[in-house]
Amino acid sequence: MTLRAGVHAEPFVFATAQYESGDWDSAPMVPPNVIDSIARYTELPVRPQGVTVPLSSEAVFAYPLLFLTGHLPVRFTTREADVLRKYLARGGLLFVDDHNHDVDGAFHKTVREEIRRVAGPLVLLPNTHELYRSFFVFENGPPTTSHEMNGWGDNLVHEQLDAVLRNNRIVVLYSNKDYSSEWSFHPDNKRFLSVDNTKFAVNLVVYALTR
Amino acid sequence: MAAPTWITGSAIVTTVSMLDVVRRVRRSLILQIRIRALVLALGAALSVWLVLDGMRIVLGHTAVPTAMAVWLVGITFVGVALVALLVARRVARHVDDARAALWIEERSTAGVHNSFALVTLIESLSAGASVVASAVPTTVSGDALTTSAQTILARIALPVALRASARRQLTGPALFAAGAFVVLLAGAVWRDDALTASRLDSTRGSPSAMRAADTAFGMAPLGSWTVRITPPAYTGQPAWALGNVQSVAAVSGSVVVVEGAGVAPMHVVERLLGEAADTLPVAQRTSTLVATSSADRWQLRTVARALPVAVQLSRGGRIRQLLIEGRPDSIPAVALVQPARDSVFRTAEGRLPLVATLRDDIGLADARFELIVSSGEGERFTARTMVLGSRRLRGATTGTIRETLDLAALKLMGGDVVHVRAIARDAYPVSAREFGSSETRSFRIARAAEYDSVAVEPAPPPEVDRSLMSQRMLLMLTEKLNRQRTTLTRAQLVRESMKLARDQARLRQAVGDVVFQRLSGDASGEHAHTAGDGHDHGVEQQQGKLALTGSNAGGVLSEGDDSPIIAINQPLLEAYNAMWDAGRELEQGAPKAAMPHMRLALAAIERARSAERLYLRGRPPTVIVDIAKIRLAGKDTGITNTRTRRMLIPPRDAARTARLIAAAQLIERDAAAARDTLAVLRVEALADAPVFAAAVGRVLDVLAQGGDLTPAFLSARRALGGVLRTEAGVWSREVPR
Repeated sequence: MTLRAGVHAEPFVFATAQYESGDWDSAPMVPPNVIDSIARYTELPVRPQGVTVPLSSEAVFAYPLLFLTGHLPVRFTTREADVLRKYLARGGLLFVDDHNHDVDGAFHKTVREEIRRVAGPLVLLPNTHELYRSFFVFENGPPTTSHEMNGWGDNLVHEQLDAVLRNNRIVVLYSNKDYSSEWSFHPDNKRFLSVDNTKFAVNLVVYALTR
Repeated sequence: MAAPTWITGSAIVTTVSMLDVVRRVRRSLILQIRIRALVLALGAALSVWLVLDGMRIVLGHTAVPTAMAVWLVGITFVGVALVALLVARRVARHVDDARAALWIEERSTAGVHNSFALVTLIESLSAGASVVASAVPTTVSGDALTTSAQTILARIALPVALRASARRQLTGPALFAAGAFVVLLAGAVWRDDALTASRLDSTRGSPSAMRAADTAFGMAPLGSWTVRITPPAYTGQPAWALGNVQSVAAVSGSVVVVEGAGVAPMHVVERLLGEAADTLPVAQRTSTLVATSSADRWQLRTVARALPVAVQLSRGGRIRQLLIEGRPDSIPAVALVQPARDSVFRTAEGRLPLVATLRDDIGLADARFELIVSSGEGERFTARTMVLGSRRLRGATTGTIRETLDLAALKLMGGDVVHVRAIARDAYPVSAREFGSSETRSFRIARAAEYDSVAVEPAPPPEVDRSLMSQRMLLMLTEKLNRQRTTLTRAQLVRESMKLARDQARLRQAVGDVVFQRLSGDASGEHAHTAGDGHDHGVEQQQGKLALTGSNAGGVLSEGDDSPIIAINQPLLEAYNAMWDAGRELEQGAPKAAMPHMRLALAAIERARSAERLYLRGRPPTVIVDIAKIRLAGKDTGITNTRTRRMLIPPRDAARTARLIAAAQLIERDAAAARDTLAVLRVEALADAPVFAAAVGRVLDVLAQGGDLTPAFLSARRALGGVLRTEAGVWSREVPR
């Protein structure tokens, strides 16, 4: 299965959201790994290097998908909250991953409050959602990461993701599965994996670009 | 024998003397006839020689071998001579005295007015000397006859007449013989000039050209030779001679002299063989040598190189080659027998035996032990080199050197390292000659503090995180039990609550272990104490709970307020005590009352964990994904190489297989050529395929001995193809009988 891009399509650029509080750059190898998967499995034009975009800048409007992660408490500034609100209203998709994978962690508690403040309450995303079939098929919902039960965080397997939906479309996707750790390795090492664990990222990108 | 006395015109001779004169003339005439026959025979023989020579030039030397030509010429000469002499004898019978007299009278009177007086007189005298002598004067007016005869004799100059006759008789045959001789001589001179020119021409070398040239010059085929090898002087080896061999093995630098009978070979080409030669330009692989000749022998001198060489000699249409297996003088092989391995000595004392064995293919010159002592530490190091046990070996091919090393004499310090190796040189007369050396053994003197090490075994990770995990799960289970409380009986509630209480107690114990381990190193804090036993953990149990004691009463340990011990243990102590409270509530079947304590314990554990959690990382690498590489679309032009079939065997082996098969097929037609091919093949394979070379050597042996070549050829073919066949053994299906 491949996706063919239009001749004049701009290449997809993976953008990492930079926010004032917390450690927004805690997973530096996620962008190249996701880009590698996009290049490996699809024919989407993709830029070989990701970008970091301040959440307070309207430059975020140029990117259909924003990746936000961290360990520490997140408190959006007023400017960041305004820009993010506009971004979501204009069709952007914010993917938030808890690098602590801890439901009682500082990041989890604070970022959920911020999401509720900016975009509305998070709800459990059913594992039958089209996100899990937008490219690869994940019958059991979000793929489990090897970090969920590694002794850190809450050590629980989270069987579902949370999301903010508007018109049945995901505008904010929230994960406690610690994809930030799962995908944060050099893409050259992907050849050592029997099963590529970054395939779900392809679904996420394709969903953001096509829905 | 007295010179004949010819009668001059003025001499008065008697009848007897006239008869004598006539008979002398007769003998002269007969002699001329015989000489003419011999000269004719010589001319005929030379003519036959000339014809054969021409045939040899035109048709080749092998068309008329030299021996046959000599026989033909000789037979022709003898045959023609015999026939001519027989004819001359027959002719000579008719040359009697009367004919001789008639020959004289014809020349005396020039054929005019012949009186035949001399003929009549000689006939009468030849019929019977006594009778004629008495009768002629009476019966045939004897005086007048005698007078006429005397007149005839007087008118002729017999020597002149005889010379003129001889000239007429012999001129033609002599010219005939001389002409043939001149032609032969001119041909020989031309051949000699061409031979010299050919020897100076170094560009020729192909066997066919050599054979054709030799054939054209009609030289005798190259026969057997002897080979004398004189090794280089430094080896101290004597010269030795071999017979009519095809190959010789000689140390590089040996002088190889080849000698044979006859004239020198016309073409001598030296060709380098083997893979090393293949890397050289073609012009450097082949060179031309010049053989010298003296008397009836020739001699060729060359020098053995470090690689095999084929010397190809050609004469008389036969090409022979001498393979010189030049073997380089290898450097000595040295093995250090003692010390057998590296080691560490606690003290620099004692005596260490050193033993090394030496071996060389030609001869060893000297050997010794070499020691390098390195001292110092950090960035300051010194090294000194010493030599021990030097020994002259005077050309021996094997040897052993021994020495005892006194460690104390080296004045070694702790940390010093001594490297020992043995070195041997051969007699190769080049200053930059590489020497043979053994592997190096090293032994070190231990430092004084080297043995004061403590074995540290890594401890398992602390239980904090596991406790946290379990505490959260226990809390969730307790909350679940509390929700189900209305649906359960009291007994069920207490039973389930007790299970949670036991798990909570186990967790509390684990947290307690962490606390005590960090404070005092004890594995567990929950053990018996007696008052004043001096056993102080910094905490003490008071009614099941833990409390800081003594110096820790204020919660401050000796490290100060910022000590991680305080930061860690204060929350853990709180967690421990909260767990104690929670466990007590659970044991009473009150999960709802236990939950606040469990939450306190969980929060306290999280605080402890957060205090330790550090996020340290360096600058992450900038990764630019190579999209084209991932999509396999990098620099590929879409043009693929043409696939070629892989060869079954390497090209070199394939070529050798072809040559081996060609040699096998050549044996039927030309065994000598096949032997040459096999010999070259063997020499070329010596360096890189010794098994195959040995197999070809066996083929040559069988070829020389005249046995069945098939097994030897099969063996060589299998050796080339890497086919290994083991002899049938006890496990074979067919056991040879």
